[in-house]
Amino acid sequence: MGRRGRRKARVAGITALVPPELIYAAGWRPLDINNWIPGSDARPRSKLCAWTASWREAILGGELKLDALVVVAGGDCHNALADGQVAARNVGRTHYFFYPFDGDAGYMEGQLRALEGFLGEGLRGERAHDRAMRALEEVAAAKRLGLRLEALRSAGRADPGSTFDALISFSDLEGDPARFGGKVERLIDASRDFRGTEGPGVALIGVPPIYRDFHRACAEAGLRVVFDELPYEFLRLGGHDLRSLARSYSTYTFARPVEFRLGLLKRELSRRKVRGIIHYAQFTCHHLLEDGLLREELDLPMLTVQGDLPGRTPAQVRLRLEAFGELLGAGKGAI
Amino acid sequence: MAAGRAFVGIDAGSTAAKLVRFDGRRVVRSRMVPARDWHSLVGTVRPREAVCTTGYFRRKVPHHLTLTEISAARLGVARSFPDAEVIIDLGGQDTKVTDLRNLTLQMNDRCSAGTGAFLEQAARYFGMSVEGLSRMAERARDRVDINSTCSVFAQSEMISMLERGARREEVAAGLHHALARRIAELVPDAERIVAIGGVARNRSMLFALGAILGRRLRVPPEPQMVNALGAALHAVAHSSQS
Repeated sequence: MGRRGRRKARVAGITALVPPELIYAAGWRPLDINNWIPGSDARPRSKLCAWTASWREAILGGELKLDALVVVAGGDCHNALADGQVAARNVGRTHYFFYPFDGDAGYMEGQLRALEGFLGEGLRGERAHDRAMRALEEVAAAKRLGLRLEALRSAGRADPGSTFDALISFSDLEGDPARFGGKVERLIDASRDFRGTEGPGVALIGVPPIYRDFHRACAEAGLRVVFDELPYEFLRLGGHDLRSLARSYSTYTFARPVEFRLGLLKRELSRRKVRGIIHYAQFTCHHLLEDGLLREELDLPMLTVQGDLPGRTPAQVRLRLEAFGELLGAGKGAI
Repeated sequence: MAAGRAFVGIDAGSTAAKLVRFDGRRVVRSRMVPARDWHSLVGTVRPREAVCTTGYFRRKVPHHLTLTEISAARLGVARSFPDAEVIIDLGGQDTKVTDLRNLTLQMNDRCSAGTGAFLEQAARYFGMSVEGLSRMAERARDRVDINSTCSVFAQSEMISMLERGARREEVAAGLHHALARRIAELVPDAERIVAIGGVARNRSMLFALGAILGRRLRVPPEPQMVNALGAALHAVAHSSQS
Protein backbone atom coordinates (compact mmCIF):
# COMPACT_ATOMS: atom_id res chain seq x y z
CA MET A 1 0.00 0.00 0.00
CA GLY A 2 1.66 3.24 -1.12
CA ARG A 3 1.45 6.56 0.70
CA ARG A 4 -0.67 8.08 -2.04
CA GLY A 5 -3.12 5.19 -1.69
CA ARG A 6 -3.27 5.68 2.06
CA ARG A 7 -4.20 9.33 1.73
CA LYS A 8 -7.12 8.40 -0.45
CA ALA A 9 -8.30 5.55 1.73
CA ARG A 10 -11.74 6.01 3.19
CA VAL A 11 -12.08 5.71 6.95
CA ALA A 12 -14.12 2.91 8.52
CA GLY A 13 -14.74 3.50 12.21
CA ILE A 14 -14.83 0.33 14.30
CA THR A 15 -16.49 0.14 17.72
CA ALA A 16 -14.48 -2.91 18.89
CA LEU A 17 -12.18 -5.46 17.30
CA VAL A 18 -13.01 -5.98 13.62
CA PRO A 19 -10.28 -7.71 11.59
CA PRO A 20 -8.18 -4.69 10.57
CA GLU A 21 -6.34 -6.70 7.92
CA LEU A 22 -9.60 -7.21 6.05
CA ILE A 23 -10.40 -3.49 6.16
CA TYR A 24 -6.94 -2.57 4.87
CA ALA A 25 -7.20 -5.31 2.24
CA ALA A 26 -10.43 -3.72 1.02
CA GLY A 27 -8.60 -0.43 0.51
CA TRP A 28 -10.06 1.27 3.59
CA ARG A 29 -8.42 2.60 6.72
CA PRO A 30 -9.79 1.29 10.04
CA LEU A 31 -10.13 3.71 12.92
CA ASP A 32 -10.77 2.30 16.38
CA ILE A 33 -13.06 5.02 17.67
CA ASN A 34 -12.22 4.18 21.29
CA ASN A 35 -8.50 4.88 21.17
CA TRP A 36 -8.64 8.70 21.39
CA ILE A 37 -10.84 8.68 24.48
CA PRO A 38 -8.32 8.16 27.35
CA GLY A 39 -6.30 11.13 26.08
CA SER A 40 -9.37 13.35 26.01
CA ASP A 41 -11.48 15.11 28.60
CA ALA A 42 -14.69 13.85 27.06
CA ARG A 43 -17.76 14.42 29.23
CA PRO A 44 -20.59 12.85 27.28
CA ARG A 45 -24.18 13.62 28.13
CA SER A 46 -26.71 10.87 28.66
CA LYS A 47 -24.26 8.09 29.25
CA LEU A 48 -24.11 4.63 30.72
CA CYS A 49 -20.62 3.63 29.54
CA ALA A 50 -18.25 6.56 29.00
CA TRP A 51 -16.37 4.64 26.29
CA THR A 52 -19.34 4.23 23.97
CA ALA A 53 -21.04 7.50 24.90
CA SER A 54 -17.82 9.44 24.18
CA TRP A 55 -17.49 8.16 20.63
CA ARG A 56 -21.23 8.50 20.06
CA GLU A 57 -21.05 12.19 21.03
CA ALA A 58 -17.90 12.75 18.97
CA ILE A 59 -19.54 11.25 15.88
CA LEU A 60 -22.77 13.16 16.34
CA GLY A 61 -20.85 16.38 17.01
CA GLY A 62 -18.75 15.93 13.88
CA GLU A 63 -15.43 15.68 15.74
CA LEU A 64 -15.00 12.12 14.45
CA LYS A 65 -15.50 12.11 10.71
CA LEU A 66 -16.07 8.67 9.27
CA ASP A 67 -16.92 7.39 5.81
CA ALA A 68 -18.49 4.29 7.34
CA LEU A 69 -19.11 2.80 10.74
CA VAL A 70 -18.75 -0.87 11.59
CA VAL A 71 -20.61 -1.61 14.81
CA VAL A 72 -19.72 -4.83 16.59
CA ALA A 73 -23.27 -5.92 17.35
CA GLY A 74 -22.59 -9.48 18.47
CA GLY A 75 -19.63 -10.06 20.74
CA ASP A 76 -19.54 -6.63 22.33
CA CYS A 77 -21.94 -4.95 24.76
CA HIS A 78 -25.42 -3.58 24.24
CA ASN A 79 -24.20 -0.11 25.20
CA ALA A 80 -22.02 -0.20 22.08
CA LEU A 81 -24.90 -1.49 19.98
CA ALA A 82 -27.31 1.18 21.25
CA ASP A 83 -24.81 4.04 21.02
CA GLY A 84 -23.68 2.71 17.64
CA GLN A 85 -27.21 2.94 16.29
CA VAL A 86 -27.57 6.50 17.56
CA ALA A 87 -24.17 7.50 16.14
CA ALA A 88 -25.02 5.84 12.82
CA ARG A 89 -27.43 8.70 12.11
CA ASN A 90 -24.45 10.92 11.42
CA VAL A 91 -22.48 8.42 9.33
CA GLY A 92 -23.27 7.72 5.71
CA ARG A 93 -23.03 3.95 5.87
CA THR A 94 -23.21 1.55 8.79
CA HIS A 95 -22.57 -2.17 8.98
CA TYR A 96 -23.35 -4.48 11.92
CA PHE A 97 -20.76 -7.15 12.56
CA PHE A 98 -21.43 -10.30 14.62
CA TYR A 99 -18.94 -12.68 16.22
CA PRO A 100 -20.16 -16.23 16.76
CA PHE A 101 -20.83 -16.96 20.44
CA ASP A 102 -20.22 -20.66 19.80
CA GLY A 103 -17.04 -20.05 17.80
CA ASP A 104 -18.45 -21.41 14.54
CA ALA A 105 -15.72 -20.61 12.00
CA GLY A 106 -18.18 -21.03 9.11
CA TYR A 107 -20.44 -18.36 10.58
CA MET A 108 -17.40 -16.13 11.13
CA GLU A 109 -16.40 -16.57 7.51
CA GLY A 110 -19.90 -15.51 6.48
CA GLN A 111 -19.54 -12.38 8.60
CA LEU A 112 -16.16 -11.56 7.06
CA ARG A 113 -17.67 -12.03 3.62
CA ALA A 114 -20.52 -9.68 4.51
CA LEU A 115 -18.04 -7.09 5.76
CA GLU A 116 -16.03 -7.48 2.58
CA GLY A 117 -19.20 -6.89 0.60
CA PHE A 118 -20.01 -3.78 2.64
CA LEU A 119 -16.55 -2.33 2.04
CA GLY A 120 -16.82 -3.09 -1.65
CA GLU A 121 -13.56 -4.77 -2.36
CA GLY A 122 -11.69 -7.40 -0.49
CA LEU A 123 -9.48 -10.33 -1.15
CA ARG A 124 -11.29 -11.25 -4.34
CA GLY A 125 -10.80 -9.90 -7.84
CA GLU A 126 -7.53 -9.68 -9.74
CA ARG A 127 -7.22 -5.90 -9.58
CA ALA A 128 -7.62 -5.82 -5.82
CA HIS A 129 -5.67 -8.98 -5.16
CA ASP A 130 -2.13 -7.59 -5.12
CA ARG A 131 -3.05 -4.65 -2.94
CA ALA A 132 -4.97 -6.91 -0.58
CA MET A 133 -2.09 -9.37 -0.25
CA ARG A 134 0.32 -6.54 0.44
CA ALA A 135 -2.00 -5.16 3.13
CA LEU A 136 -2.37 -8.56 4.77
CA GLU A 137 1.38 -9.01 4.83
CA GLU A 138 1.99 -5.52 6.30
CA VAL A 139 -0.52 -6.12 9.08
CA ALA A 140 0.90 -9.58 9.80
CA ALA A 141 4.45 -8.20 9.90
CA ALA A 142 3.43 -5.51 12.39
CA LYS A 143 1.62 -8.08 14.52
CA ARG A 144 4.67 -10.33 14.60
CA LEU A 145 6.61 -7.33 15.96
CA GLY A 146 3.81 -6.75 18.44
CA LEU A 147 4.13 -10.31 19.68
CA ARG A 148 7.87 -9.79 20.16
CA LEU A 149 7.29 -6.59 22.12
CA GLU A 150 4.61 -8.30 24.19
CA ALA A 151 6.98 -11.14 25.04
CA LEU A 152 9.71 -8.68 26.05
CA ARG A 153 7.29 -6.80 28.32
CA SER A 154 6.10 -10.05 29.91
CA ALA A 155 9.71 -10.93 30.65
CA GLY A 156 10.19 -7.52 32.30
CA ARG A 157 12.40 -6.29 29.47
CA ALA A 158 10.14 -3.58 28.03
CA ASP A 159 8.24 -0.73 29.64
CA PRO A 160 4.67 -1.89 30.47
CA GLY A 161 3.12 1.53 29.82
CA SER A 162 4.51 2.18 26.36
CA THR A 163 3.98 -1.48 25.46
CA PHE A 164 0.31 -1.21 26.41
CA ASP A 165 -0.06 1.97 24.34
CA ALA A 166 1.34 0.12 21.34
CA LEU A 167 -0.61 -3.09 21.85
CA ILE A 168 -3.95 -1.35 22.27
CA SER A 169 -3.38 0.32 18.89
CA PHE A 170 -3.23 -3.04 17.10
CA SER A 171 -7.00 -2.80 16.63
CA ASP A 172 -6.42 -0.28 13.84
CA LEU A 173 -2.62 -0.06 13.54
CA GLU A 174 -2.98 3.70 13.66
CA GLY A 175 -4.16 3.84 10.07
CA ASP A 176 -0.86 2.75 8.52
CA PRO A 177 0.42 -0.77 9.19
CA ALA A 178 3.89 -0.19 7.75
CA ARG A 179 4.52 2.99 9.69
CA PHE A 180 2.99 1.50 12.83
CA GLY A 181 5.22 -1.58 12.44
CA GLY A 182 8.20 0.77 12.36
CA LYS A 183 7.05 2.42 15.54
CA VAL A 184 6.75 -0.96 17.29
CA GLU A 185 10.18 -1.92 16.01
CA ARG A 186 11.62 1.23 17.57
CA LEU A 187 10.01 0.29 20.88
CA ILE A 188 11.68 -3.11 20.64
CA ASP A 189 15.01 -1.39 19.96
CA ALA A 190 14.47 0.97 22.88
CA SER A 191 13.82 -1.98 25.18
CA ARG A 192 17.57 -2.73 25.06
CA ASP A 193 18.07 0.30 27.30
CA PHE A 194 15.16 -0.55 29.55
CA ARG A 195 16.46 -1.12 33.06
CA GLY A 196 13.68 -3.45 34.08
CA THR A 197 10.87 -3.12 36.56
CA GLU A 198 10.54 -4.29 40.12
CA GLY A 199 7.54 -5.73 41.86
CA PRO A 200 5.12 -8.59 41.59
CA GLY A 201 3.88 -9.41 38.10
CA VAL A 202 0.20 -8.68 37.67
CA ALA A 203 -2.30 -9.21 34.88
CA LEU A 204 -4.71 -6.54 33.74
CA ILE A 205 -7.89 -8.24 32.61
CA GLY A 206 -11.22 -6.92 31.38
CA VAL A 207 -11.82 -3.95 29.15
CA PRO A 208 -8.96 -1.46 28.82
CA PRO A 209 -8.80 1.25 31.52
CA ILE A 210 -10.23 4.61 30.46
CA TYR A 211 -7.42 6.36 32.37
CA ARG A 212 -4.49 7.43 30.20
CA ASP A 213 -1.84 6.91 32.89
CA PHE A 214 -3.14 3.70 34.41
CA HIS A 215 0.01 1.67 33.73
CA ARG A 216 2.16 4.40 35.21
CA ALA A 217 -0.07 4.40 38.28
CA CYS A 218 0.41 0.61 38.51
CA ALA A 219 4.19 1.02 38.28
CA GLU A 220 4.16 3.73 40.95
CA ALA A 221 2.23 1.32 43.19
CA GLY A 222 5.00 -1.25 42.67
CA LEU A 223 2.93 -3.42 40.37
CA ARG A 224 4.51 -4.80 37.21
CA VAL A 225 1.92 -5.42 34.51
CA VAL A 226 2.97 -8.51 32.54
CA PHE A 227 -0.29 -9.22 30.74
CA ASP A 228 -2.94 -7.01 29.16
CA GLU A 229 -5.83 -9.23 28.24
CA LEU A 230 -7.68 -7.33 25.54
CA PRO A 231 -4.69 -5.93 23.64
CA TYR A 232 -3.22 -9.44 23.62
CA GLU A 233 -6.35 -10.52 21.75
CA PHE A 234 -5.60 -7.93 19.07
CA LEU A 235 -2.36 -9.69 18.16
CA ARG A 236 -4.04 -12.66 16.48
CA LEU A 237 -2.46 -13.65 13.21
CA GLY A 238 -4.66 -14.67 10.31
CA GLY A 239 -3.69 -16.06 6.94
CA HIS A 240 -4.18 -14.87 3.42
CA ASP A 241 -7.78 -15.89 2.89
CA LEU A 242 -11.13 -15.47 4.56
CA ARG A 243 -11.18 -19.01 5.87
CA SER A 244 -7.96 -18.69 7.84
CA LEU A 245 -8.95 -15.22 9.10
CA ALA A 246 -12.27 -16.68 10.19
CA ARG A 247 -10.55 -19.51 12.05
CA SER A 248 -8.40 -16.98 13.90
CA TYR A 249 -11.08 -14.43 14.76
CA SER A 250 -13.67 -17.03 15.78
CA THR A 251 -11.51 -17.62 18.88
CA TYR A 252 -11.76 -13.97 20.01
CA THR A 253 -12.47 -14.72 23.66
CA PHE A 254 -14.38 -11.56 24.55
CA ALA A 255 -17.12 -12.65 22.16
CA ARG A 256 -17.27 -16.22 23.46
CA PRO A 257 -18.73 -17.86 26.60
CA VAL A 258 -16.87 -16.92 29.76
CA GLU A 259 -15.56 -20.50 30.17
CA PHE A 260 -13.71 -20.10 26.89
CA ARG A 261 -12.21 -16.83 28.09
CA LEU A 262 -11.19 -18.45 31.38
CA GLY A 263 -9.24 -21.05 29.40
CA LEU A 264 -7.08 -18.35 27.82
CA LEU A 265 -6.69 -16.49 31.11
CA LYS A 266 -5.63 -19.56 33.08
CA ARG A 267 -3.08 -20.48 30.45
CA GLU A 268 -1.58 -16.99 30.16
CA LEU A 269 -1.57 -16.23 33.90
CA SER A 270 0.24 -19.48 34.63
CA ARG A 271 2.70 -19.04 31.76
CA ARG A 272 3.63 -15.55 32.99
CA LYS A 273 3.78 -16.51 36.68
CA VAL A 274 1.29 -13.79 37.56
CA ARG A 275 0.91 -13.10 41.30
CA GLY A 276 -2.16 -10.90 41.22
CA ILE A 277 -4.93 -9.73 38.93
CA ILE A 278 -6.38 -6.31 38.33
CA HIS A 279 -9.87 -6.67 36.90
CA TYR A 280 -10.86 -3.44 35.26
CA ALA A 281 -14.51 -2.84 34.45
CA GLN A 282 -16.27 0.27 33.33
CA PHE A 283 -19.01 1.73 35.52
CA THR A 284 -22.29 0.06 34.43
CA CYS A 285 -20.30 -2.51 32.44
CA HIS A 286 -21.86 -5.96 32.19
CA HIS A 287 -18.38 -7.46 32.63
CA LEU A 288 -18.59 -6.46 36.28
CA LEU A 289 -21.21 -9.17 36.67
CA GLU A 290 -18.49 -11.71 35.80
CA ASP A 291 -16.28 -10.50 38.63
CA GLY A 292 -17.39 -13.13 41.15
CA LEU A 293 -16.93 -15.91 38.64
CA LEU A 294 -13.45 -14.70 37.72
CA ARG A 295 -12.48 -14.49 41.41
CA GLU A 296 -13.73 -18.02 41.96
CA GLU A 297 -12.03 -19.53 38.93
CA LEU A 298 -8.73 -17.67 38.80
CA ASP A 299 -7.56 -18.40 42.34
CA LEU A 300 -5.22 -15.40 42.61
CA PRO A 301 -5.49 -12.17 44.63
CA MET A 302 -7.71 -9.89 42.61
CA LEU A 303 -8.39 -6.18 42.72
CA THR A 304 -11.45 -4.91 40.91
CA VAL A 305 -11.27 -1.37 39.62
CA GLN A 306 -14.26 0.47 38.21
CA GLY A 307 -13.61 3.46 36.01
CA ASP A 308 -16.00 6.06 34.75
CA LEU A 309 -14.92 9.19 32.87
CA PRO A 310 -11.62 9.51 30.97
CA GLY A 311 -8.64 11.39 32.37
CA ARG A 312 -5.88 10.68 34.85
CA THR A 313 -6.17 7.80 37.28
CA PRO A 314 -8.11 9.21 40.27
CA ALA A 315 -6.66 9.18 43.79
CA GLN A 316 -9.22 6.60 44.92
CA VAL A 317 -8.06 4.17 42.27
CA ARG A 318 -4.40 4.89 43.01
CA LEU A 319 -5.06 4.09 46.66
CA ARG A 320 -6.48 0.72 45.66
CA LEU A 321 -3.49 -0.01 43.44
CA GLU A 322 -1.05 0.98 46.17
CA ALA A 323 -2.84 -1.15 48.76
CA PHE A 324 -2.90 -4.07 46.36
CA GLY A 325 0.84 -3.63 45.82
CA GLU A 326 1.40 -3.66 49.57
CA LEU A 327 -0.71 -6.77 49.96
CA LEU A 328 1.30 -8.51 47.26
CA GLY A 329 4.53 -7.43 48.93
CA ALA A 330 5.63 -4.74 46.52
CA GLY A 331 7.87 -1.79 47.23
CA LYS A 332 8.67 0.18 50.35
CA GLY A 333 5.26 -0.26 51.94
CA ALA A 334 5.47 -4.06 51.79
CA ILE A 335 4.21 -5.70 54.93
CA MET B 1 14.54 -1.45 67.59
CA ALA B 2 16.16 1.56 69.26
CA ALA B 3 15.91 1.35 73.09
CA GLY B 4 13.42 3.77 74.60
CA ARG B 5 12.29 4.96 71.22
CA ALA B 6 8.59 5.63 70.61
CA PHE B 7 6.70 5.00 67.42
CA VAL B 8 3.91 7.19 66.18
CA GLY B 9 1.15 6.23 63.80
CA ILE B 10 -0.96 8.99 62.30
CA ASP B 11 -4.12 8.18 60.37
CA ALA B 12 -4.93 11.30 58.38
CA GLY B 13 -8.43 10.32 57.29
CA SER B 14 -11.07 12.20 55.36
CA THR B 15 -13.18 13.14 58.39
CA ALA B 16 -10.82 12.74 61.37
CA ALA B 17 -7.10 12.54 62.06
CA LYS B 18 -5.88 10.09 64.73
CA LEU B 19 -2.56 9.58 66.45
CA VAL B 20 -1.32 6.53 68.32
CA ARG B 21 1.96 6.56 70.22
CA PHE B 22 3.39 3.09 70.82
CA ASP B 23 6.40 2.41 73.02
CA GLY B 24 7.23 -0.94 71.46
CA ARG B 25 5.01 -2.88 73.86
CA ARG B 26 1.82 -0.94 74.36
CA VAL B 27 -0.13 2.12 73.30
CA VAL B 28 0.87 5.01 75.53
CA ARG B 29 -1.30 7.67 73.96
CA SER B 30 -4.09 7.98 71.43
CA ARG B 31 -5.84 11.09 70.24
CA MET B 32 -8.39 12.01 67.58
CA VAL B 33 -9.09 15.44 66.09
CA PRO B 34 -11.15 16.70 63.13
CA ALA B 35 -9.31 16.09 59.84
CA ARG B 36 -8.59 19.80 59.34
CA ASP B 37 -6.67 19.91 62.66
CA TRP B 38 -4.07 17.27 61.79
CA HIS B 39 -1.32 19.85 62.36
CA SER B 40 -2.07 19.75 66.07
CA LEU B 41 -1.18 16.04 66.13
CA VAL B 42 2.08 16.60 64.30
CA GLY B 43 2.97 19.24 66.88
CA THR B 44 3.04 16.55 69.58
CA VAL B 45 5.66 14.40 67.80
CA ARG B 46 9.05 14.41 69.54
CA PRO B 47 12.34 14.62 67.63
CA ARG B 48 13.47 10.96 67.93
CA GLU B 49 10.08 9.41 67.25
CA ALA B 50 9.56 7.40 64.09
CA VAL B 51 6.38 8.50 62.34
CA CYS B 52 4.37 6.36 59.95
CA THR B 53 1.33 7.92 58.32
CA THR B 54 -1.72 6.36 56.71
CA GLY B 55 -5.10 7.54 55.44
CA TYR B 56 -6.15 9.73 52.53
CA PHE B 57 -3.82 12.58 53.43
CA ARG B 58 -0.90 10.40 54.53
CA ARG B 59 1.55 12.01 52.15
CA LYS B 60 0.61 15.50 53.27
CA VAL B 61 1.57 14.82 56.88
CA PRO B 62 5.35 14.82 57.63
CA HIS B 63 6.48 11.21 57.98
CA HIS B 64 9.37 8.76 57.88
CA LEU B 65 7.22 5.98 56.48
CA THR B 66 3.82 5.76 54.89
CA LEU B 67 1.41 2.98 54.00
CA THR B 68 -2.17 2.70 52.83
CA GLU B 69 -4.97 2.40 55.35
CA ILE B 70 -5.76 -1.06 53.99
CA SER B 71 -2.36 -2.38 55.05
CA ALA B 72 -2.48 -0.37 58.28
CA ALA B 73 -5.83 -1.98 59.10
CA ARG B 74 -4.35 -5.41 58.51
CA LEU B 75 -1.51 -4.75 60.97
CA GLY B 76 -3.70 -3.02 63.54
CA VAL B 77 -6.36 -5.73 63.52
CA ALA B 78 -3.76 -8.51 63.83
CA ARG B 79 -2.82 -7.14 67.27
CA SER B 80 -6.31 -7.86 68.66
CA PHE B 81 -7.47 -10.59 66.30
CA PRO B 82 -4.54 -12.45 64.73
CA ASP B 83 -6.92 -15.02 63.22
CA ALA B 84 -9.17 -12.47 61.47
CA GLU B 85 -10.33 -13.56 58.04
CA VAL B 86 -12.10 -10.42 56.83
CA ILE B 87 -11.77 -6.78 57.86
CA ILE B 88 -14.58 -4.30 57.26
CA ASP B 89 -13.30 -0.74 57.65
CA LEU B 90 -16.41 1.39 58.09
CA GLY B 91 -15.25 4.90 57.37
CA GLY B 92 -16.91 8.26 57.04
CA GLN B 93 -16.39 8.51 53.29
CA ASP B 94 -15.93 4.93 52.17
CA THR B 95 -16.11 1.32 53.21
CA LYS B 96 -13.21 -1.04 52.59
CA VAL B 97 -13.44 -4.80 52.85
CA THR B 98 -10.26 -6.87 52.86
CA ASP B 99 -10.38 -10.63 52.64
CA LEU B 100 -7.13 -11.66 54.33
CA ARG B 101 -7.47 -15.26 53.11
CA ASN B 102 -6.88 -14.35 49.48
CA LEU B 103 -5.70 -10.72 49.73
CA THR B 104 -8.71 -9.38 47.93
CA LEU B 105 -10.09 -5.91 48.48
CA GLN B 106 -13.42 -4.36 47.73
CA MET B 107 -14.28 -0.74 48.28
CA ASN B 108 -17.49 1.18 48.12
CA ASP B 109 -16.72 4.79 47.43
CA ARG B 110 -18.65 5.53 44.28
CA CYS B 111 -21.30 7.26 46.35
CA SER B 112 -22.03 7.80 50.01
CA ALA B 113 -24.72 5.12 50.15
CA GLY B 114 -22.44 2.58 51.85
CA THR B 115 -20.61 4.91 54.22
CA GLY B 116 -20.92 6.80 57.48
CA ALA B 117 -21.91 9.88 55.48
CA PHE B 118 -25.26 8.18 54.85
CA LEU B 119 -26.02 8.13 58.59
CA GLU B 120 -24.63 11.64 59.10
CA GLN B 121 -27.06 12.98 56.53
CA ALA B 122 -29.98 11.24 58.22
CA ALA B 123 -28.87 12.36 61.69
CA ARG B 124 -28.74 15.95 60.46
CA TYR B 125 -32.35 15.68 59.32
CA PHE B 126 -33.43 14.56 62.81
CA GLY B 127 -31.26 17.28 64.36
CA MET B 128 -29.17 14.86 66.37
CA SER B 129 -25.75 13.23 66.35
CA VAL B 130 -25.01 9.91 64.64
CA GLU B 131 -24.71 8.37 68.12
CA GLY B 132 -28.17 9.76 68.95
CA LEU B 133 -29.56 8.23 65.76
CA SER B 134 -28.07 4.88 66.74
CA ARG B 135 -29.59 5.06 70.23
CA MET B 136 -32.96 5.96 68.71
CA ALA B 137 -32.77 2.92 66.41
CA GLU B 138 -32.00 0.70 69.41
CA ARG B 139 -35.35 1.66 70.91
CA ALA B 140 -37.30 0.51 67.84
CA ARG B 141 -39.56 -2.52 68.13
CA ASP B 142 -39.82 -2.83 64.37
CA ARG B 143 -38.20 -1.19 61.38
CA VAL B 144 -39.41 0.23 58.08
CA ASP B 145 -37.90 -0.93 54.80
CA ILE B 146 -35.83 1.72 53.01
CA ASN B 147 -35.40 0.43 49.47
CA SER B 148 -33.34 3.18 47.84
CA THR B 149 -29.62 2.53 47.64
CA CYS B 150 -28.88 6.19 46.91
CA SER B 151 -28.55 8.16 50.14
CA VAL B 152 -30.33 11.19 48.71
CA PHE B 153 -33.28 9.12 47.53
CA ALA B 154 -33.25 7.21 50.83
CA GLN B 155 -33.72 10.50 52.64
CA SER B 156 -36.75 11.34 50.47
CA GLU B 157 -38.11 7.87 51.22
CA MET B 158 -37.48 8.40 54.93
CA ILE B 159 -39.34 11.73 54.92
CA SER B 160 -42.34 10.32 53.08
CA MET B 161 -42.51 7.43 55.59
CA LEU B 162 -42.47 9.83 58.50
CA GLU B 163 -45.27 11.80 56.83
CA ARG B 164 -47.27 8.61 56.46
CA GLY B 165 -47.00 8.09 60.21
CA ALA B 166 -44.01 5.78 60.67
CA ARG B 167 -42.32 6.07 64.07
CA ARG B 168 -38.97 7.87 64.17
CA GLU B 169 -37.32 4.91 65.90
CA GLU B 170 -38.50 2.52 63.20
CA VAL B 171 -37.24 4.83 60.46
CA ALA B 172 -33.86 5.12 62.22
CA ALA B 173 -33.67 1.31 62.44
CA GLY B 174 -34.59 1.08 58.75
CA LEU B 175 -31.80 3.49 57.82
CA HIS B 176 -29.20 1.45 59.68
CA HIS B 177 -30.50 -1.70 58.03
CA ALA B 178 -30.36 -0.08 54.56
CA LEU B 179 -26.74 0.94 55.10
CA ALA B 180 -25.85 -2.49 56.47
CA ARG B 181 -27.46 -4.18 53.47
CA ARG B 182 -25.37 -2.06 51.14
CA ILE B 183 -22.14 -2.89 52.99
CA ALA B 184 -23.00 -6.59 53.27
CA GLU B 185 -22.90 -6.80 49.46
CA LEU B 186 -19.13 -6.31 49.68
CA VAL B 187 -18.46 -8.84 52.43
CA PRO B 188 -17.45 -12.41 51.54
CA ASP B 189 -18.64 -15.31 53.64
CA ALA B 190 -16.28 -15.85 56.57
CA GLU B 191 -16.34 -17.00 60.20
CA ARG B 192 -14.10 -14.34 61.69
CA ILE B 193 -15.09 -10.88 60.54
CA VAL B 194 -13.64 -7.80 62.25
CA ALA B 195 -15.26 -4.37 61.99
CA ILE B 196 -13.14 -1.24 62.45
CA GLY B 197 -13.45 2.48 61.71
CA GLY B 198 -15.62 5.16 63.24
CA VAL B 199 -18.89 3.55 62.15
CA ALA B 200 -17.88 0.34 64.00
CA ARG B 201 -18.67 2.20 67.25
CA ASN B 202 -22.29 2.40 66.15
CA ARG B 203 -24.16 -0.44 67.93
CA SER B 204 -27.24 -0.28 65.71
CA MET B 205 -25.06 -0.56 62.66
CA LEU B 206 -23.18 -3.56 64.02
CA PHE B 207 -26.45 -5.22 65.02
CA ALA B 208 -27.94 -4.75 61.53
CA LEU B 209 -24.79 -5.83 59.70
CA GLY B 210 -24.32 -8.87 61.95
CA ALA B 211 -27.95 -9.89 61.41
CA ILE B 212 -27.64 -9.66 57.61
CA LEU B 213 -24.32 -11.53 57.53
CA GLY B 214 -25.47 -14.09 60.09
CA ARG B 215 -22.26 -13.52 62.07
CA ARG B 216 -21.31 -11.80 65.30
CA LEU B 217 -18.86 -9.13 64.26
CA ARG B 218 -15.70 -8.69 66.30
CA VAL B 219 -14.73 -5.15 67.18
CA PRO B 220 -11.35 -4.20 68.66
CA PRO B 221 -11.10 -1.60 71.43
CA GLU B 222 -11.16 1.90 69.93
CA PRO B 223 -12.00 0.68 66.40
CA GLN B 224 -11.49 4.16 64.98
CA MET B 225 -7.82 4.10 66.09
CA VAL B 226 -6.89 0.74 64.52
CA ASN B 227 -5.33 2.18 61.37
CA ALA B 228 -3.20 4.63 63.35
CA LEU B 229 -2.12 1.71 65.54
CA GLY B 230 -1.30 -0.32 62.41
CA ALA B 231 0.83 2.55 61.14
CA ALA B 232 2.70 2.73 64.45
CA LEU B 233 3.27 -1.05 64.32
CA HIS B 234 4.61 -0.69 60.81
CA ALA B 235 7.11 1.86 62.11
CA VAL B 236 8.16 -0.66 64.79
CA ALA B 237 8.57 -3.44 62.22
CA HIS B 238 10.55 -1.17 59.92
CA SER B 239 12.78 -0.13 62.80
CA SER B 240 13.53 -3.79 63.59
CA GLN B 241 14.46 -4.45 59.95
CA SER B 242 16.75 -1.44 59.59
